[in-house]
Amino acid sequence: MLIVAIAFVVFLLMRMPVAFAIGISGVLFFAQHPELPFTIPAQITVSQTQNFSLLAVPLFILAGNFMNRSGITKRLLELASVMTGRLRGGLAQVSIALSALMGGVSGSAIADASMQSRMLGEDMVRRGFTRGFTAGVLSYGAVLTPIIPPGIGMILFGTIGQVSIGRLFAGGVLPALLLWLALSLAVWLTARSRGYEPERKVRPSLKETARAFKGGIWALLFPVFLLFGLRMGVFTPSEIGAFAVLYAIFIGVLVYREMKAKGFIEALEGSLTDVGAVMFLIALSVIFSYGLVFERVPEVVSGWILGVTENPYAAMILVAVFVLVIGFFIDATVLIIMLTPIFLPVIRQLGGDPVHFGIVFIIAATIGNFTPPVGAAMYAVCSILKCPIGEYTRESKGLLAAVALVVLLLVFLPGIVLFLPDLVFG
Amino acid sequence: QETYTLRFNHVLGPNEPFHKGFTDWSERVEERTGGGLKMDVFHSSQLGVEEDIIEQIRQGANIGQNTDAARLGNYVPGIAVVNGPYFVSTIEEAYALADLPTMKKWQQELADEHGLKVVCFDWVQGFRNFYTNKEIREPADLEGLRIRTPPAPIWQESIRALGAEPTAMNFGDVYPGLQQRAIDGAELVYPNITAANLNEVLKIANETKHILLVNFQVVSSKWFNSLPVEYQTALVEECRTAGQETSEVIRQATEAARQKLIEAGMTIVEDVDMEAFRQAGEAAYEALGIVEAKKQLQSEMQQ
Amino acid sequence: MVRARTAYSVLTRLEAVLAGVFLMLMVLLIFTGGVARMLHHPLNWTIDLSTCFFAWACFLCADIAWRRNALMSIDVWGKHLSHRANRALDYLNYAVISAFLVYLIYAGIWLSWVSRARSFQGIPGVSYSWVTMSIAVGGALLLLTTILKAMSALKEDRLRGTTRCGAV
Ligand code: NA
Ligand code: NA
Repeated sequence: MLIVAIAFVVFLLMRMPVAFAIGISGVLFFAQHPELPFTIPAQITVSQTQNFSLLAVPLFILAGNFMNRSGITKRLLELASVMTGRLRGGLAQVSIALSALMGGVSGSAIADASMQSRMLGEDMVRRGFTRGFTAGVLSYGAVLTPIIPPGIGMILFGTIGQVSIGRLFAGGVLPALLLWLALSLAVWLTARSRGYEPERKVRPSLKETARAFKGGIWALLFPVFLLFGLRMGVFTPSEIGAFAVLYAIFIGVLVYREMKAKGFIEALEGSLTDVGAVMFLIALSVIFSYGLVFERVPEVVSGWILGVTENPYAAMILVAVFVLVIGFFIDATVLIIMLTPIFLPVIRQLGGDPVHFGIVFIIAATIGNFTPPVGAAMYAVCSILKCPIGEYTRESKGLLAAVALVVLLLVFLPGIVLFLPDLVFG
Repeated sequence: QETYTLRFNHVLGPNEPFHKGFTDWSERVEERTGGGLKMDVFHSSQLGVEEDIIEQIRQGANIGQNTDAARLGNYVPGIAVVNGPYFVSTIEEAYALADLPTMKKWQQELADEHGLKVVCFDWVQGFRNFYTNKEIREPADLEGLRIRTPPAPIWQESIRALGAEPTAMNFGDVYPGLQQRAIDGAELVYPNITAANLNEVLKIANETKHILLVNFQVVSSKWFNSLPVEYQTALVEECRTAGQETSEVIRQATEAARQKLIEAGMTIVEDVDMEAFRQAGEAAYEALGIVEAKKQLQSEMQQ
Repeated sequence: MVRARTAYSVLTRLEAVLAGVFLMLMVLLIFTGGVARMLHHPLNWTIDLSTCFFAWACFLCADIAWRRNALMSIDVWGKHLSHRANRALDYLNYAVISAFLVYLIYAGIWLSWVSRARSFQGIPGVSYSWVTMSIAVGGALLLLTTILKAMSALKEDRLRGTTRCGAV
């Protein structure tokens, strides 16, 4: 596995596209294991594309592109400007609010981040946000997606660890609000220190506000309809993206009448590139993590960590830090499957609460999606926005600090997580 | 002395009795062969998707997989009857299948023509029932109910024959799917309900006992044949022992899970019209074209 | 030469059209599946068919993204490297990537052949090889794109060389 890691770094230094770097270095593991069929890397790459929960990714990318062409995004931005125009960093705040809304709809941080990059990215840059900061906001905002129910991470954790999924769902709500607050504060502070001027100096007139609301009503109703489709049981979280695409097309063609054949084809054309850039990387990354799983690397390292302390808080912090670091390399879903059975029994033994631990653990694992060198959501956002990873990393430090701070707070104040589950389930 | 390693993959979680059973099997094999044959068990499909692993096994990899008769039926069609509705009705009957000449013939065919060696299949997961929010007593009660099944046609045919609308869905989508009424129920075993907390979204257990789920442990026949004979024997015998012990553990765990669910307020429907369900189930064998295979095995069973 | 260029542009057009059609079919199939289930008539083949299209769409789109230089890479060196060193890195990348793609194509074809008995989603008579072939075909398209990238880089270098000579 060491050779694989070294090769990966060398390939990155060679400026090889990350998708190829991760896949090719992963193949080296198989070269060291001649007893394994040589076809496995190709086979598991194809299998990634058969994973029904990943289907949400191309669907939401399409939805983002169609919303731009249908006139939904434009009206959403007008409305946002009326509502938040006097706030510093208005559009960035809108993006985080939208993540919270989308969090109730989609279970996938990558899907949410990809869609919003397409919708809001260029407009944020046009309004003076740096590319790196824009990418950071769009990607870190998606930390809300997996912990606002329904989230596939919570279902996996609950199933593997035999923890009530209802309690986990309830436990995610307050931490999600706290994360929203922290991200929003970080955006505000950055906007202030950089002197991002508010877009508007004067309060919008009542007439202007009413017009913006009227124009934006279909945009506003978008997440509401999605939620409705989900809660009424028409679609499952994996399927809801298809509804989102057709909704955008329907509004664009029949309601706003802005999308003609040309716009439709352009939206589809653009989606091809986005889907290719995002999905190829996700598909090939499974070659890399196969070796880590095969050699049980995370399990071995976790064993060392748990030997260190007997204090549940200290253990939880160590676990969070470890998950965050290893999350730089392994997908959150894989981490939850591998590490829940290792960490949860120990935390239970030390007297920690499983729901409390679960929420901290899932947030920490999700953050790994946003951090270099390997983070699926980060790559998705940066490739859609054409933002260099270095700039992204520099510009999103504040946001990383904000979410890390919330994780710390959650570790030491279990009440924030447990208040709602205790209230609902006793 | 050369040492051998088998990496064994299964889709179940680490808390399921099967996982404990596989690690027991692995420890005993290692002990009996003096460390010459090691087994490394991976839960939750960590090594990959079941179908992928089976293909890797066929190519001769030193990997094993816990699978079911439906999937093996892709290679030797007749074997799928073991997964049919009301095929065997007790654990003892399931164990006895191993001695039937036709079962032996099919296993030979799997090994010779498809590279899949069945180590043993004494791993019985227990009876599958319908879990819903409406009481089910006869096939007609299932009409129009969308019941989640594993995404395999054989399974769907069985459920359709019993009267429901089979609905393929990711296991991860089942909880929210039930919560939001995208589906009306699932057909599972009792311990699945407690493990995934599905009693939070399902109120009624209807004891139709329509499938007694028998699992098969498969490895590569090429790899198996490369083992020294005493290692082969150790692997097979310990598989059977561990499997039968685990089936017994599951029988008890099923009872415990049932008790726990009753305490949690789940309604149990026991007075199901079994004869009506049994007759309805026949249609599945016809739809799948395995009526003859079923008759053959059943006549051998009666001898 | 002209004929080869026309054939290639037809190929890339076809690729984009197919990828777009597959993506839209996925949307329609999944949507139809959800609605049918709501109406208590679940159509389970809609999911199966859409994941099959998903595989093909992924690899076709990967090639489109590669051709349009949309695959993300990390620029560690910034502007610290000379033009010549940069070009050397490009050629090295193209070589390694081509080797990898040749492997993917070979493994994809081999896999499609040996696993032809594996049924797709357990549907009798439908082979999973229809899905597996997507990686072999996608790999071949990606390889073609990589070779063309390398060739156009070579041509550019040669032109650069001659113009510099001409100026002296
Ligand atoms: Na969510
Ligand atoms: Na990361």
